[in-house]
Amino acid sequence: AWLGVRLAISVSLLFTASAVFEDQVGKFDWRQQFIGKVRFALFDTHSQASKKLLVATDKNVFASLNSRTGDLFWRHLDKTGPEGHLDSLLMYGQDAVVVVGNGRLLRSWETTVGGLKWETVLDTGSFKAAALVGVQDLVKYVAVLKKTAISLHDLSSGGQIWVENLPDSDTVQYQTIYSEGNGLVFVLGLVPNSHVVIVEYKIEDGEIMNKKSIQAAWMSSLESSCAVISSGILLCVDQITQSLYTLPLQSVEQKEMKQIHLQTLDLEVASGFQPVLTSTQPNPAQPPLAEFFLQLNPDHHILLQLKDGLIAPLRDFNPSNLVAFATTGEKTVAAVMSPKNETACSINLFSADTGRRHLDTTIIYHLDPNVGKPNKLYVHAFLKKDDSVGYRVMVQSEDHTLTFLQQPGRVVWMREEALADVVTMEMVDLPLTGTQAELEGEFGKKAVVTDGLLPMVLKRLSSQFILLQAWLAHLWKLFYDARKPRSSVKNDEVTIENLSRDEFNLQKMMVMVTASGKLFGIDSKSGAILWRHYLENIQPNSGFKLMVQRSTAHFPHPPQCTLLIKDKDIGLASLHVFNPIFGKKSHSSVPALPRPILQTLLLPIIDQDYAKVLLLIDDQYKVTAFPSTKNILQQLQDTASSIYFYLVDSSQGKLSGFRLRKDLSTELIWEVVIPTEVQKIVAVKGKRGNEHVHSQGRVMGDRSVLYKYLNPNLLAVVTESTDTHQERSFVGIFLIDGVTGRIVHEAVQRKARGPVHFVHSENWVVYVYWNSKFRRNEFSVLELFEGAELYNSTVFSSLDRPRPPQVLQQSYIFPAGISTLEATLTEKGITSRHLLVGLPSGSILSLPKLFLDPRRPEVVSEQTREENLIPYAPEMPIRTEWFINYNQTVSRVRGIHTAPSGLESTCLVVAYGLDIYQTRVFPSKQFDVLKDDYDYVLISSVLFGLFFATMISKRLAEVKLLNRAWR
Amino acid sequence: NHCLRVWVVLLGLHVTISHEVTNDVTHEGDKDDVRSEDVKFQVLGRAVVPGVRTHDWISSARVLLDGDKHVGFLRSDGGFSVSDVPSGSYVLDISSPTYRFQPVRVDISSTGKIRARVLNYIKTSEVIQLPYPLQMRYAGPHSYFIQRETWGWSDFFMNPMVYMMVLPLLIIVLLPKVINPSDPEMQREVEQSMNMLNPNTELPDVSELMTKFFSPPKSQKKPGGGTRVPKGGGPGQKGGGPRRR
Repeated sequence: AWLGVRLAISVSLLFTASAVFEDQVGKFDWRQQFIGKVRFALFDTHSQASKKLLVATDKNVFASLNSRTGDLFWRHLDKTGPEGHLDSLLMYGQDAVVVVGNGRLLRSWETTVGGLKWETVLDTGSFKAAALVGVQDLVKYVAVLKKTAISLHDLSSGGQIWVENLPDSDTVQYQTIYSEGNGLVFVLGLVPNSHVVIVEYKIEDGEIMNKKSIQAAWMSSLESSCAVISSGILLCVDQITQSLYTLPLQSVEQKEMKQIHLQTLDLEVASGFQPVLTSTQPNPAQPPLAEFFLQLNPDHHILLQLKDGLIAPLRDFNPSNLVAFATTGEKTVAAVMSPKNETACSINLFSADTGRRHLDTTIIYHLDPNVGKPNKLYVHAFLKKDDSVGYRVMVQSEDHTLTFLQQPGRVVWMREEALADVVTMEMVDLPLTGTQAELEGEFGKKAVVTDGLLPMVLKRLSSQFILLQAWLAHLWKLFYDARKPRSSVKNDEVTIENLSRDEFNLQKMMVMVTASGKLFGIDSKSGAILWRHYLENIQPNSGFKLMVQRSTAHFPHPPQCTLLIKDKDIGLASLHVFNPIFGKKSHSSVPALPRPILQTLLLPIIDQDYAKVLLLIDDQYKVTAFPSTKNILQQLQDTASSIYFYLVDSSQGKLSGFRLRKDLSTELIWEVVIPTEVQKIVAVKGKRGNEHVHSQGRVMGDRSVLYKYLNPNLLAVVTESTDTHQERSFVGIFLIDGVTGRIVHEAVQRKARGPVHFVHSENWVVYVYWNSKFRRNEFSVLELFEGAELYNSTVFSSLDRPRPPQVLQQSYIFPAGISTLEATLTEKGITSRHLLVGLPSGSILSLPKLFLDPRRPEVVSEQTREENLIPYAPEMPIRTEWFINYNQTVSRVRGIHTAPSGLESTCLVVAYGLDIYQTRVFPSKQFDVLKDDYDYVLISSVLFGLFFATMISKRLAEVKLLNRAWR
Repeated sequence: NHCLRVWVVLLGLHVTISHEVTNDVTHEGDKDDVRSEDVKFQVLGRAVVPGVRTHDWISSARVLLDGDKHVGFLRSDGGFSVSDVPSGSYVLDISSPTYRFQPVRVDISSTGKIRARVLNYIKTSEVIQLPYPLQMRYAGPHSYFIQRETWGWSDFFMNPMVYMMVLPLLIIVLLPKVINPSDPEMQREVEQSMNMLNPNTELPDVSELMTKFFSPPKSQKKPGGGTRVPKGGGPGQKGGGPRRR
């Protein structure tokens, strides 16, 4: 029983280890929610006061934004991948209809609540188009066009009214639907370079009323070059014949499209440019307007009108980048963005029916080189009190940024949607003070060479004086702030100028690299974006690797980060060198990389400027050093014989180790081939370079020491079987020494499959796999020990290890899914480790490593109790108190970044996925600082009380003594 | 007829039925890999948080099948459907940042028969059937936070250490006032009770033993005792009291 109690106590102590107190909410943590690149955006025009903006994005997110603040009202995440792809977004009144998964599902949402209204499963077939269908001014149905069929659904219940197969669907490519509230639905199809097919369906029962084909040998695509305008007239444009073509959809007699040469309108489409037609249909139950935009070249639009069968230009917009229609009430307007000068664009409003410009409607949009070019315009028009049209615009840029503007150019809000896809990140220490950073220029490399001793001393003195000044100013500010009321102090903003390291180094600069090629510098304390840098011409599927070559510690040299950008298809790479605090591109010369880069290596060798050397190995096993000064090359020559690196070729299942030669060529040392017919290499991980291990061993119950096998060169290689049958599939793990190629250990998990998540740290590897027999996730931990004595306690050498390590392994059931896995990291490695597990629900679980200890005993004995080992239990506990992000869930968490802070007890954690969440964790509680709730009042009152009590009692004793003496 | 009815009732109660189903499940498991991708099914259910309007929580909730392999959303009546699910065995959970529901295992056979059972990760083949369409059991709000230890007077007084300190103090102060030590009868009584406490006079007293052991040089005894008193503060006095008596 006593054992039970002790266990209960130790376990309960564990339980409180990393929990959050309610009053800590928002104190040092923050979350930012994103949606991704917007594909569809609709303003709620149902009522004038509505603030809703509905968006559907490429991240399969459907959300409602507050158009006044840019905050989320609600957000729904569908399945990832093509099955959750949002094909179309339609909105009518309070309802929004979404087509999901290549036309697989049709969903209707109540936009005010964010709840589902109905959901219908559609027949298979690839999705082509969807449209709202109205009958007598009322929108009642939604039509969905698939490759081979069209179906009509009731808007209020989702019930299918009818579904009809399309005629000749094997030859005709049906592409669009059109209806105008006259009881008919038109389906437009095309046989490329031959003819257009128009099929008329009756809304009531889906009966084909009419079907005709029209010769159009010039046409290759309907969607991009055609539009329906003005009471059912199909309008097409062709670049080769330089003509517009019109055809009334319902006419029986007209058998050919009417050709109008653009020349007659004095227009010409730029050669090689696919002209675009933009029309608008404000109400799906009524015909579209007769006015439309024709884009003649990338920055030339023209507003045209079809009147009595004739097309006439209303207004020419040259130059103009973007155009959009918007409707409010009965009025339809067109917003046109045109370049104003190098740094700004102006947006103006024109009435659609006349092309006349509305007065005082200019919005200036400032072009930021770090935001990218605008590529889409969304307009929210509304009626002002005097019945004139007011508007706001949302501009979407190349880098997925959304900017919401109102007159005369005030940015109401901005969303950096590139952050929805963070690829990699680093946390960089802040400089000591902003003033120090300014001094950088004085101590440049050249200054050291040219100046003599005396000027250097003077410079040093002056810089010290400036530092002193800054310190005094800091003190003064502290004093000044202390007198001000608390609320006013809090909301002073963090800017690059007042950035400085705090006393415990808890505030850092988060350098985030996103898939769109935009880099961000974010203050870890507040989450404010301090700088952004847009790298143009980044291929969409590039790989990124971020390395900190020089930290902030080497004042006056600025910190330096290097980003390796690698094209995944051809493998060619380029380097982007920048200052992580200011985001500015560094002037240092970057080596040209003509060949694909296979591996990078950041060595602890430093040049005079304290920048670590980066080795880049290309596909001919040649090594390029960056920076490559004489000093560096000399050092590399001296240490070449002890520099090893490894390469992984997962397509051939080959791992190979190389050694550097003095002339920066390489030689092959070892090779391990894992046959690809049986299994494939999924991931290879070494240990983190900045990891410290405090204790060399573990003290056992009998006071002996079990020494850890701390091989810094150890690689963990995870393989998965190529056979995916659940009886024969397996997950393998190899521990390979990266220098010698020796396989230190090998483990196989049968009847298991990936995805495997794993952490390799200290002397252990923790990995998670799916047990396909029992259909559950399982954790397995491998720990390596040298045994009771160390072979060579002073230095570890892979080449001199006669005894293989002892390996212990244990597995546990994890009763939830897993998205990602990472371990906490602290400055000196004294604090106990926790595993941070990202769950599919968005929570981040902080799991004490104690639960993943292969020495957990099945039978409890005196010794195991002495060691504080928890008895083995097959199921891992999950407690909501261990969720470090409480209800601030991080959707689709893809990675967790951990970084040590200046405090040993504290580890900084950033979880990123669709959202970004930053917090601090204290795996062994805050043992090195006073707790937040430390009772200063109590301790000081006790002290004062004792002090006065001694004073009084002293006085009393004196009186008593005196009295006694008198007696 | 009557007999048959009894038999049916017995079967319904008995576990044998679940055994049959177990076999069925493993059979399904074997078929998992050959499951045809085009045959897909829909899982239906309902989740309600008692006392909370559905409008307040459904916009942040999702229905997850096996992590986020398949996703469903909640309607404003609390109902949900997860569409397009191929046959197999899944864990269905409702993920909400505020409310907790008990996850359920859902088995879909290749013919589209759907059955729900209690989730058990250890005995995966155990079958305790649940009604289908699913009725998700609400398990209370998530408790993310732990209480801060607050200091209060009650904690102070309920502390056994405080009792240990206060009671002897009371005895020292009050006892001399209650009983008159100069009364010879009382002295005798005290002596008797002392004898009762220490009946075996032959056994050496522990304290005496200790003093003997530690005090061969007699002069050092006093400073040794002296240092102990200020260290202990109050309790030192308490210790001194009985010894003096």
